[in-house]
Amino acid sequence: MNYFPDEVLEHVFDFLTSHRDRNAVSLVCKSWFKVEKWSRHRVFVGNCYAISPERLIARFPRVRALTLKGKPHFADFNLVPHDWGGFVYPWIEAMAKSNIGLEELRLKRMVVSNEGLELLARSFVNFKSLVLISCEGFTTDGLAAVAANCRFLRELDLQENEVEDRKGQWLSCFPDSCTSLVSLNFACLKGEVNLTALERLVARCPNLKSLRLNRAVPLDALQRILMLAPQLEDLGTGSYVHDPDTETYNKLISTFQKCRSIRSMSGFLEVSPLCLPAIYPICSNLTSLNLSYAPGIHGDELIKLIHHCRKLQRLWILDCIGDKGLGVVASTCKELQELRVFPSDPFGVGNAAVTEKGLVAISFGCPKLHSLLYFCQQVTNAALITVAKNCPNFTRFRLCILDATKADPVTMQPLDEGFGAIVQSCKDLRRLSLSGLLTDRVFLYIGMYAEQLEMLSIAFAGDSDKGMLYVLNGCKKLRKLEIRDSPFGNEALLTDVGKYETMRSLWMSSCEVTLGGCKVLAEKMPRINVEIINEYDQMEFGFDDRQKVDKMFLYRTLVGPRKDAPHFVWTL
Amino acid sequence: MGRATNSSSSSIDSSSHPTVSSASSFPRLKRDLSTDLSLGLSISTSDHHYCPSTPREQQSDWPPIKTLLRKALAGEGNKCNDATFFVKVYMEGIPIGRKLDLFALDGYHALIRTLDHMFSTTILWAEVDGVLHSEKCHVLTYEDKEGDWMMVGDVPWELFLTTVKRLKITRVDKY
Repeated sequence: MNYFPDEVLEHVFDFLTSHRDRNAVSLVCKSWFKVEKWSRHRVFVGNCYAISPERLIARFPRVRALTLKGKPHFADFNLVPHDWGGFVYPWIEAMAKSNIGLEELRLKRMVVSNEGLELLARSFVNFKSLVLISCEGFTTDGLAAVAANCRFLRELDLQENEVEDRKGQWLSCFPDSCTSLVSLNFACLKGEVNLTALERLVARCPNLKSLRLNRAVPLDALQRILMLAPQLEDLGTGSYVHDPDTETYNKLISTFQKCRSIRSMSGFLEVSPLCLPAIYPICSNLTSLNLSYAPGIHGDELIKLIHHCRKLQRLWILDCIGDKGLGVVASTCKELQELRVFPSDPFGVGNAAVTEKGLVAISFGCPKLHSLLYFCQQVTNAALITVAKNCPNFTRFRLCILDATKADPVTMQPLDEGFGAIVQSCKDLRRLSLSGLLTDRVFLYIGMYAEQLEMLSIAFAGDSDKGMLYVLNGCKKLRKLEIRDSPFGNEALLTDVGKYETMRSLWMSSCEVTLGGCKVLAEKMPRINVEIINEYDQMEFGFDDRQKVDKMFLYRTLVGPRKDAPHFVWTL
Repeated sequence: MGRATNSSSSSIDSSSHPTVSSASSFPRLKRDLSTDLSLGLSISTSDHHYCPSTPREQQSDWPPIKTLLRKALAGEGNKCNDATFFVKVYMEGIPIGRKLDLFALDGYHALIRTLDHMFSTTILWAEVDGVLHSEKCHVLTYEDKEGDWMMVGDVPWELFLTTVKRLKITRVDKY
């Protein structure tokens, strides 16, 4: 295959955007490997400990856009101690040293320090885009460094990070010469921002398409900002509180009428419901609406709002919309593809306001639905079977019953048949989360039918090792498996150890796996890191192989045990 | 094999009998005080400080929602949930009691107004100064967690909600 000069091959490869395609291409022959290697600009690393920064740079010397993921998914729910790991600094340092022309960095669940952000801002002249999702470890001082030094910054997107707010003037650190911003999202910041600096920044960035404000930006500032940026396509309001009988509110109404391009909205972190009608004209054009951080909007007002949103494709909402409200969604939002319903009262004992009825209504009304996250009070097998029949196109199906081991309330049976129907009907299912009373049977179904399944989340489910074995044997494309509080032990863990090299990672906490079992696995599989996370009982660490392991996280890696593990993490 | 029904961070006791309960077993976190949780108050009985969100709540790992969302929802004080807190209310001399949802009220004044209406009388409580008339007036008292009968109105409303078990409207002369 040397008929084409390298430039032609490179040009052809440019059309390949998916990582998997490019990975496949590099395996064809040495010459393709070489061309692909030198032309690869976008690299995705799903587990930052699977490879080292130095090896990545050696493999892809022309990387310009890097995505890194750190902590396991269950870290989102406080199951992983804060200092477990996932530090981005070594990556930034290595790339700076090797003069990598980094332009984009996307991090998820990583620990980011101010030093790292400062080094980033100083080292990469063409840096354009920083996206931080569920990260922590930095303050607004780090953001100030990025704002001040990245002269061509287009995107600063902070999604649900824990940021210590130094109440500094980070926004004012964008120099007057910065006019290139396209996307700015600081909704997760808790502190005050300099409103004048914000308005001046918006005014001088004509390409600004996405702006998500935090709670400290009041409604009158929102109105002024919208006047400066009528071209916005994605808006996250800050505080949406005001007296509707005012000049300001009337100005807001007419300002919103001028914003014909807004397709996506979020925010409403604080709300005066009487001010919601101002956004009704925008609602008819919305394709995406995220009200999951807006507990101030009650069910009735949500329903009134939804009536205007005929073009919605993505809806994130709290369960106070109720089953009735979901019925309204079903009859209004015919284009709906993704729905997430979050619990508005996470501390209540099973007080979710939605049940299987809402979900069934959605399945009848929204044939294009393929992605679901649904927190509810209860679910029946009959409902799941109906949903499976109505919506065979699910790619992501995550159901969380607040009472984690609740049976079908009508038949008192486990929910095996219901979830079984889902996996059997949805042939493209890639992600599944289970809850409710579940026996080994549901895992038999998953192993049999979920051929495309890549990620599975299990909590309080199953009866024996057989359950886990059905999944490991059956799901050939499984990449991530996370299990908590389920009776799976050493036999399930050790029956097919080779499987773990085909997967990114396995998490097991509060299961039946023992230290001895983990040691056997680590012994057999040198290219798997088996980490035992043990926050308590430091003294008894490692003395008794029969001891059950509280938290185990294993992942394939090319670089052996990591050197930055804290004292409570033991790599076997 | 026993089913794990206990706190998520405790090991499963393999010597326990296998229990496959079809009854719901809500994952027990380190404590089960739904009232306290709804109000976001601290847990220990000796600590009466009002504290909007304790570190332990933020350690909560069920239901599986992100910490930031959990904090945002707790902060709003559950405006759109249906939590209720019904307590019994007895008027002295009347054997049949009533029930009252304290969560539906936003403070002592609302409580007094509601009770005045429910029992057609004038109710005296801590905020009312002055002369205690006989016959026409009653005093509002409550039984707290320690079993003592106290006059209503001395402590902040939120704190009252965590300690009240039931209410009694007693005649002034008996008081």
